[in-house]
Order: sequence, then C-alpha cells, then structure tokens
Amino acid sequence: MMHKKNTIRSGRSLHVSFFAERTLIYALIAIFLFITLSPLVWILSTSLKPNTEAISFPPKVMPEEPTLDNYFFVLTDPTLARSLINSLIVSIGSTALSVAVSALGGYAFARFDFRGKNIIMSVILGLFMIPVVINIIPLYTMLANVGLLNSLVALMLTFQILIVPLNILLMRNYFETIPKELEEAALIDGCSRLGALRRITIPLSMPGFVIAAVLSFRFSWNEFILPVVLANRSDSMVFQVALYQFISIYRIEWGYLSAGITLSIIPVLVLMLTFQKQMIRGLTLGAIRE
Amino acid sequence: MSSIFVKTEPYFFLVPALAILLVFLIFPLFWNIYISFHDVSLITILSEWEYVGWTNFIELFNDPYFYTSLKITLLFVGGSVALQFGIGLLISVLLHQQVRASGVLRAIFIIPWTISAVIAAFSFKFIFDDNFGILNYVLNQLGLQSVGWLSDPNMVIWSLVIANVWYGTPFTILFLTAGLLSLNPTIYEAAVMDGATKLRSFRHITLPLLRPFIVINLVLITMWSVNFFDIQLVMTGGGPLFASTTASLYMYRQAFEFGLLSKGAVVGIILIVINLSVALIYLKFLRR
Repeated sequence: MMHKKNTIRSGRSLHVSFFAERTLIYALIAIFLFITLSPLVWILSTSLKPNTEAISFPPKVMPEEPTLDNYFFVLTDPTLARSLINSLIVSIGSTALSVAVSALGGYAFARFDFRGKNIIMSVILGLFMIPVVINIIPLYTMLANVGLLNSLVALMLTFQILIVPLNILLMRNYFETIPKELEEAALIDGCSRLGALRRITIPLSMPGFVIAAVLSFRFSWNEFILPVVLANRSDSMVFQVALYQFISIYRIEWGYLSAGITLSIIPVLVLMLTFQKQMIRGLTLGAIRE
Repeated sequence: MSSIFVKTEPYFFLVPALAILLVFLIFPLFWNIYISFHDVSLITILSEWEYVGWTNFIELFNDPYFYTSLKITLLFVGGSVALQFGIGLLISVLLHQQVRASGVLRAIFIIPWTISAVIAAFSFKFIFDDNFGILNYVLNQLGLQSVGWLSDPNMVIWSLVIANVWYGTPFTILFLTAGLLSLNPTIYEAAVMDGATKLRSFRHITLPLLRPFIVINLVLITMWSVNFFDIQLVMTGGGPLFASTTASLYMYRQAFEFGLLSKGAVVGIILIVINLSVALIYLKFLRR
C-alpha cells in the first residue's frame, strides 16, 4: 500500500506506473478480444474445409484445401434454401410492421398529452420484462385454434412482442429531440398533421428509424424459440429452425453446419457494425430519459 | 368537432401497437392461467378442454424432476449473471480508459450479441465436442486431461454457462458503455485534482453514478437467464440424463416433447413468479 502511494507522488515513477497501467489495460483487452473472436474464427475456418478435414485430428486452424463446397451445399439444399428465403420474408415483414407501429406509438407519446399517458407507458415498459418464452404455450394453442400454425404471417405478428415495447421507447426519444415548433410552423402553413409528419418529422428522425429497423431485424432474424414451436413444418421453417432440424435429423456434418452458421451471421453482423455508433447513442438517449 | 378529434387523436396513433401487444402478449399471459386449470395436451388441443382444478399444479409439485430443474436454474442463472456482469463491467470500463480505436474494439466486442443464441450454441457444441472439439485438443497439447464438457453431468451446466456468457456479455457491455458515456467527464477532473486514485474515483464516483444502469442491467440479464433455453436445447437437449434441464427447458420439454401443455403452463406461471421476485429483490436492494 505504502509503495503504491509513493509511486503516485514522485514524477518519474508516475510515468512508470502510467506505462504499467496502459500495458495492463491493453493486455486485458487483448485477452478478451481473443476469447470473443476465436470461436467465430474457428467456425469460419471449418466452413471452408472439406467435410473430411473438418473432423480430422489434429485440428488445423487454417484449412489445407479451402473450398466453398459447404456453402454450395447449404444454398442448394432445398429445405435450407427455402428456409433462408422464409427468414428473409419474415424478418423484412416483421421489421416493416414493427417500425411502422412503433413510430406511430412513439409519436403519440412524444407529441401529445392524453389521459393515462404515464400509465400506458409504464405498462409498455413492464411488458418488455415479460419473458416471451412463457407465452409460447398459450400462443401455440391460440394459433392452433385459428389454424395459423406454420404460417409466416403468424411469425411476423408474434415477433412483434419481442420488439415493439423497446422500439416505442426508442422512437419516442427520437421524436422528442425534434423541436415541436418545426411541426407547428408547418401546421400553420396549412399542412395537415400527417403532411407535417411526412414532410418534416419523419425525414428528421431517420436515424431513429434506422436504429429501430436494425434492432427489429436482429430480433426477427435470430429468433428461434417462437418459430421452432409455431412453425416447424418444412415449408414454413425459418433458417434458425432449419439448421436445428438439420443437426437433429442427420449425423452432424460440421462443415455444412459451419457454413450455415456463417451465412446466418452475415446479414445482422453487417447491419450492426454499420450502425454501431447510432445504436449506443440510441441507448444512451433512452437511458437518460428514464 | 375538432376538439373531440384532438382529444382522441393520440389514441389513434397508439391503437396498432396496443392491439398487437394486447393480443399476442397480454392476453396469452391470462390464457396461460386458463390452460393450467384444464387438461390440454397436444392430442386434445383442438377438442374441448376438461376443467381439472388444481390437478396440474399438484402433479408438478409431486415431480422430483421439477425441483431438480429449479436447482439447475439457480446454478445456470447465478453463474451466467455473475460472469456476464463482472466481465461486462470490466470490458466497458477498460474501453472507457482513452483506449486507442475504442470504437472499433467496442464493435468487435458486441459481435456475439449480433448472432443468434442457436448459432452460438452450435459453435460451442462444436468447440466442446469430446472427440474432435478443439478445446480438448488444446488441453491435451498442454499436457492436461480431456474434460467431458458436455458428457459429464457435473460439468455440463458450467459449459452451458460459458457459452451463455460468451453470447450474453455484449449486452452488458453495450448497456454499461451507454451509461459510462452519459456521465459528465468533468467530475473525474475534479476528483483527479483532489488527488484521488483511479480505483478510488471509480469506486466512489463512477459506480454510484452508474447505479441506475447497473440495476436495470442486472434485472434484465437475470430474467433473460431464467427464461433462456435456446442454448440448453441445442447443445445438450437437457442431458446427459437431466443434468442441464433448467426450469425453462423443463417447461418446453413437458409441453412439446411430452405433449403436456397444461403442465408446461403451470411451469410458465412459476417462471413468472420467479421473474417478478427477481425484479423486486433487485429493486429493493439496489435502488435507494
């Protein structure tokens, strides 16, 4: 303890301790980077190996004869290819729906005073805490009774419960950063409320829309529990479910599976990395308000 | 006329969102209770449901596996939350120390959160594989014994915790980074002027200011871990024997493997009670 205090006091050892501290910080970061990335690098490398090499011993980090055969297999397997298309349809549809619905809701909270406003907002925030998993059994019986099991539309609708509460919060916060006066000026100039929305508010809050869309896509594309229960027939499977079925039916072919994994990571990864800064800002904005 | 319109206008904006939440989130919560008092199985789902009173509850509470699953949940949640929070806090604080290229590093650290739990589970199933998994290979190269990561009943739950920590920690990093960025940097300058060391200013200034973020973060990651079963389902299916069947997975298996929807619904109700208790306990102890 004494020693530590002394180093901080004297100038030269201050420099040394600063250097030691920086080294420690970067060393720790390097270790965590390695842990974060190595599973992914391993999967990527396996996906480029022929299936015989994928389970060869000892394992090699770099594929000896890199090949795209595994990707070719995944993209031409009828069930897997179909499920990729299903995933795209469901994700895009559910993203569009959730952004539209949440933008309307968020706008109401940002711009109007109305009875029950705070109560409704806290209920919506509370809903964010309800585990969707608990709803799978009632949802299953509901959809079975109206004959909507194994339909992509049912997936788009049920996925909303994963996203809408969070998106309403995000959109409200974004709309609140846009001065009310701009809209009022447009209203005075003879714009309708919707016209003002379309010409002024929506263009200005584009960044908010982008975050909401990226998050929606991430949740929809990655969701597994709802679709594995609600849509597991081969024509309505999404990609996550198809991969799961793929390993349960066949002996695990790690080469094919790694290619599937890599393919499923790419869309969201590209989106998230592109909009990483805005996402953190969006979360900060949301948090400050609470 | 226009005044009536103005008063009802905000509700029109809210109708679509509230309708969706009502039908797919709130109604099912109550519907779950209804199911738990009836005899519903995958076979009888489309016929009339017989009212059976507390039978499903009694059956569940007489099932020793249910209590085992609660114990396994405790291990899974305790391990996941402690590690996710500890490591997440450490990484977000490290990145906050004027590190070079912190934006890029932050982006890399959140990558596991951009992929799905199923995919994370597949990846770790591959890495943990007893025979040709790379982890055992590395251990052997270092002169250590192979570990039955997914085949040893005493080990399996910790292997799942490791996978869940890898997958879930980025959320904590993202959330606490947002918290750190929202703090005003001038408070540190004042603390440094007063001669406070970094560790002391972290303990006495940063942590208290981060408290609201920490509370929400802990509540969220705890609940998510309680309800989570993607990783268990894909990596082990609950096995070997029963060793990795958490209560949430137990619910899924009862309902969709054994077809006992009502029994699953009762487990769902228990999970809600656990979730509520978790939230209340955290709020009571951490909020002041």
